[in-house]
Amino acid sequence: MALNPPSPTPSMFRKKKSSSSLGPMSTAASYLSAVRAADARARARGDTPLTTPALSLSSSVTTSSEDTILDEGEESYSDILTYPSIPPTSEQVYTTVHSEFGHCSNEEYRAVSQHPAGKPVAPHVEQDPPYYVLFTTYISYIILILFGHLRDFSRKYFNPGEFKHLVPHDGYAPITSDFDSFYTRRLKGRMDDCFSYPVTGVAGRTIVLLERESKDSNRTFAPTGRKVRTLNISSYNYLGFAQARGGCADAVEECIKRYGVSACGTRVEGGSLDLHSQAEGLVANFVGQEDALLCSMGFATNSTIIPALVGKGCLVISDELNHASIRFGVRVSGANVRMFKHNDMKDLEDLLKEVISQGQPKTHRPWKKILLIVEGLFSMEGTMTNLPSILELKKKYKFYLFVDEAHSIGALGPHGRGVSDYFGVNPRSIDILMGTFTKSFGAAGGYISGSRVIVDRLRVRSHSHTYAEAMTPPVLTQVIASMASIMGVTPALPTSTSTGTITKSRMPEPEVPEAYPGRALSSSLPTWMDLPPAMREGTEGRDRLRRLVFNSRYLFRGLKKLGFIVYGHDDSPIIPLLIFNPGKMSMFHRLMRQYSTPIVVVVVAYPATPLVTSRVRFCVSASHTKEDIDTVLRASDYVGDVLDLKHSDGERWPLERIMNSAVELVQMEQPSHD
Amino acid sequence: MSSAMASTSANLEPLFSFLAQSYTTVENGFNRIPGSAVIARYVKSSHQNDPGRTVLELVLAVFAIWTLLQSRTRADKDGKNFIQFTEKEIDELVNEWTPEPLAESLSPQEQVELDTVPVFAGAQGPRPKLANSGKTVLNFTGTNFTGLAGNDDIKNKAIETLRKYGLGSCGPPGFYGTTDVHLDLERDLADFLGTEAAIVYSQGFSTISSVIPAFAKRGDIIVADRGVNFAIQKGVQISRSTVRWFDHNDLKSLEDVLEGIEKERKKKKAPLTKKFIVTEGIFEKDGQMVDLPKLIEIKYKYKYRLILDECISFGAVGRTGRGLTELFNVPASQVDMLVGSVANGLASCGGFCAGSKYVAYHQRINGSAFVFSASMPPLLSVSASEGVNILRNTPSILSTLQENVRLVRSVLDRLDCISIPSHPASPMFHIHVRPNTPTLQLPSASGGKPSNPNSILPRDPPQFDIELEERLLQDVVDEALTQGVLITRARRLRGQEMVEARPSIRIAVSAAFSKKECEKAANVIKAALVKVLGKRR
Ligand SMILES: Cc1ncc(COP(=O)(O)O)c(C=O)c1O
Repeated sequence: MALNPPSPTPSMFRKKKSSSSLGPMSTAASYLSAVRAADARARARGDTPLTTPALSLSSSVTTSSEDTILDEGEESYSDILTYPSIPPTSEQVYTTVHSEFGHCSNEEYRAVSQHPAGKPVAPHVEQDPPYYVLFTTYISYIILILFGHLRDFSRKYFNPGEFKHLVPHDGYAPITSDFDSFYTRRLKGRMDDCFSYPVTGVAGRTIVLLERESKDSNRTFAPTGRKVRTLNISSYNYLGFAQARGGCADAVEECIKRYGVSACGTRVEGGSLDLHSQAEGLVANFVGQEDALLCSMGFATNSTIIPALVGKGCLVISDELNHASIRFGVRVSGANVRMFKHNDMKDLEDLLKEVISQGQPKTHRPWKKILLIVEGLFSMEGTMTNLPSILELKKKYKFYLFVDEAHSIGALGPHGRGVSDYFGVNPRSIDILMGTFTKSFGAAGGYISGSRVIVDRLRVRSHSHTYAEAMTPPVLTQVIASMASIMGVTPALPTSTSTGTITKSRMPEPEVPEAYPGRALSSSLPTWMDLPPAMREGTEGRDRLRRLVFNSRYLFRGLKKLGFIVYGHDDSPIIPLLIFNPGKMSMFHRLMRQYSTPIVVVVVAYPATPLVTSRVRFCVSASHTKEDIDTVLRASDYVGDVLDLKHSDGERWPLERIMNSAVELVQMEQPSHD
Repeated sequence: MSSAMASTSANLEPLFSFLAQSYTTVENGFNRIPGSAVIARYVKSSHQNDPGRTVLELVLAVFAIWTLLQSRTRADKDGKNFIQFTEKEIDELVNEWTPEPLAESLSPQEQVELDTVPVFAGAQGPRPKLANSGKTVLNFTGTNFTGLAGNDDIKNKAIETLRKYGLGSCGPPGFYGTTDVHLDLERDLADFLGTEAAIVYSQGFSTISSVIPAFAKRGDIIVADRGVNFAIQKGVQISRSTVRWFDHNDLKSLEDVLEGIEKERKKKKAPLTKKFIVTEGIFEKDGQMVDLPKLIEIKYKYKYRLILDECISFGAVGRTGRGLTELFNVPASQVDMLVGSVANGLASCGGFCAGSKYVAYHQRINGSAFVFSASMPPLLSVSASEGVNILRNTPSILSTLQENVRLVRSVLDRLDCISIPSHPASPMFHIHVRPNTPTLQLPSASGGKPSNPNSILPRDPPQFDIELEERLLQDVVDEALTQGVLITRARRLRGQEMVEARPSIRIAVSAAFSKKECEKAANVIKAALVKVLGKRR
């Protein structure tokens, strides 16, 4: 935490440029001494500049900006991950820990995500690689499969003990047969070192890996005991709310003291707290719907609530790339399902014509209702649903629309309110908006929102509301605090006494909340929740939104200019970089992890993606600084050359040019894909 | 390379001229087909002087067509049932179609159902404050059996974790969502229970619905109790396995069903498939307890794997709260998949499945609620670990709990206007309205014939008037509340359960109550029951 000296326009970061002559420095010691000197100067200058009312709000106020740096003494750390390359001056005051949420005060590195009004949504084109890449990819799979079978064959005869659990034994059928588990054992097994890497600490801008090694070809892993801090471009921490310090964490601490950890019960049988109602009201406000309902797990929000909406005699039309939780829910519901090609509006319309005219299979009775389920931002593709076109179709074909905003809520739109905000459409024209708190809000669980009638019906019918444990107080607090800080709170400042402590009495409030997308009413937050001014005013939230967009666009366009094939939308914080060859995936992962500034990435392959389009998926965060994105670009450039991944045929720029013209690159008109 | 090619082609001159000739004939024929120009242009452009590419594209095209034909969700345009419509007819049909509303508004009764849900202002615990009246009540709802809600050690650990890990894990376990504290919790749970391994899920309720389909697939056999909870019903449904049902908590019936299956298999000479018994430790629906030693014996005898849902019993019975396995002194490793919740007895949020290493490993790839969901917040994980630690070191918690249960039950068991189906040791027990006129429900009413194992419905389902009983019970709940004791009806998804459960009041006893409080509450509940149900006569 740091201190905001009184300032006419409080913002999270003071903008004044450094007057200090300290150049970039690389070692911890020199950095710390610089900070100490700057701090001393600041103290010497001001008459107790640290006792503004704002300060006394926070429970963990400290008087030194050393706290914005976290050195937990990992045995191996990379300086630039822990220490900013340019130390702050006495005037630059950061409220975050650099390794959690990077220090970046350059207002140029900000952008706004919004679809230009009236412009048609360009269809997404997926660039194909040269044929030799496809060819070698197929060949690789064939070789992998052949070798796998060969190994299976020889194992079965020469070392049957190892196969015992895959064949019937003692009258039990195996849990998985050798055939069913072939893919896991022989293909995924080879790159298991890329998955489930244990970590510790905050999943923020950086993350600490608990290094492990395998001495038996990935069958087992043993920790080496070393901790490695790495740049984290993998967590769904879009707005950077994964923080152990700061206003949200302070609020959560206060909550744990007051409420304990658990709600201990289901929502209908003694597990409902005032916090639940407050959070539900706030969520509804945030997404622009009448009401909302919470669920303690994002996956369960889909899997246990979709069955409460549709059932036998209903039809669900589902994008072919929808998330597993949606498929789970649809399957449980007993409704019929039809899929359409990912984001293909033509295919969707054809399908609609067919299903409505044909009616239910066999009987040809009309469908009771048709529910279209799409994701706002697709988690493996980085593509955005074509909301304007879908709403057009909705008028004609009268289906109901369910948008899963797990990844888009918070991350898209000028106000962070998801795809409807991004496209500038009225959120109430969408019947159901679902989302999760695990991503942008750094919390857990999910919500479903819609008209009051629908949400009340779900309160009665949804499985989780009646039978699942309620969301816990700390999670609710994180949701409320982070959401409120994106919205801003009105009135922004509670009345305070002259002694600097805040009284609980609040100013009279307007009766109605501000129109969507407006601020949150102060009265809708728990009375004990004292957010720091930058959060109440919404400046911090706005800064997060803008940093995220800058970073997303910069990385997306930078990778493109380097010559990589990337999928998805320019403004998407999810950026899949296509690798194709299965063998290169684990190499990419390893090379990035062993890069001079270690970087952790997520690689995904079949069955999560089509067989040929294996990819690495970057998840950009507001907590990254421009230098971090530079680092990712530099590393990708290097690894891309080593692994021959640059197959795009667009215009290419050298790395230096990309890094020097980042701002220009980000502000370029969004190219219309034709 | 090219020179070698040249020499070969010289040798094959006659063949080439023949090929060229036939090629021209084919080409001429092809050009006569309408639309061929487009295809030719496409092939040319994709060919790009590169025969390899054309071959590859051809292979890909064949592959694509094949996949399309295979696709299960393809438009069944050529199916028997497809009716050909003109564009105009389609437009008319589209215009005519009016969907049902997505949701009906609530009936007054349902509205009451929602309005009577208790909400607390402030912390959950044995003596919370109600949000609407501001009244402090003795809380016999919820699942705070061990009284760990609000425990200071847990709070401190949670805050410590918050300051190190933040709140959310921001990623699924596969992608940097597995932190050391998750691994610690898995180890703690496995150690506590005495299994090889455990795997934690981020919601208790969803755990078993994911565990069952991770193991049981189409063609496998599940034998389940007729009284299983909703989550199990959903898990069984999604597994698409063959399901057989046995009478609620009747292991004799289980054996009969297993015998029947074995006979059938022998007759059909069906191949060996995976076979599972799915049941609960303490049943959510009525608080009955399964006879675990007997169940284990049966499962070994018939070579079934046992999926046991201990969501309620874990942290509720046994000397230190390990659940049924501790109570019956059965090694937990004999239960193949032991599913529990850390949201109840451990006062956190999440679920787990304990078993062999392979069972845990298998779910890391196949448990959909594990793979496709973010891992639980680290501080909840640490809270659960601390809960295990406290239970392990403080056996007095469970003995107090049992003492409290005995106290409350001793007052209520003697009432003759109600019946309590639950096991005497279960801290969560149900109260049914005893039917006014004792019906002729003798055990032999079914004529001794067993129920049909293919259907979840028993041959002679018990008859009860849901609406009437719910209303009476709600009156009891309201009456108890006026005396400062909060209890609740067991809330049900009426119409969505496979079998309707008899309406009941669900009482949750906690170790956090003093003897006096238990006595007071029991007497208040007793008085309320007598007052409301006595009037009926
Ligand atoms: C589209 C979508 N829906 C739902 C979920 C599940 O959310 P959670 O991780 O909170 O369980 C995810 C998570 O990956 C998702 O991508």
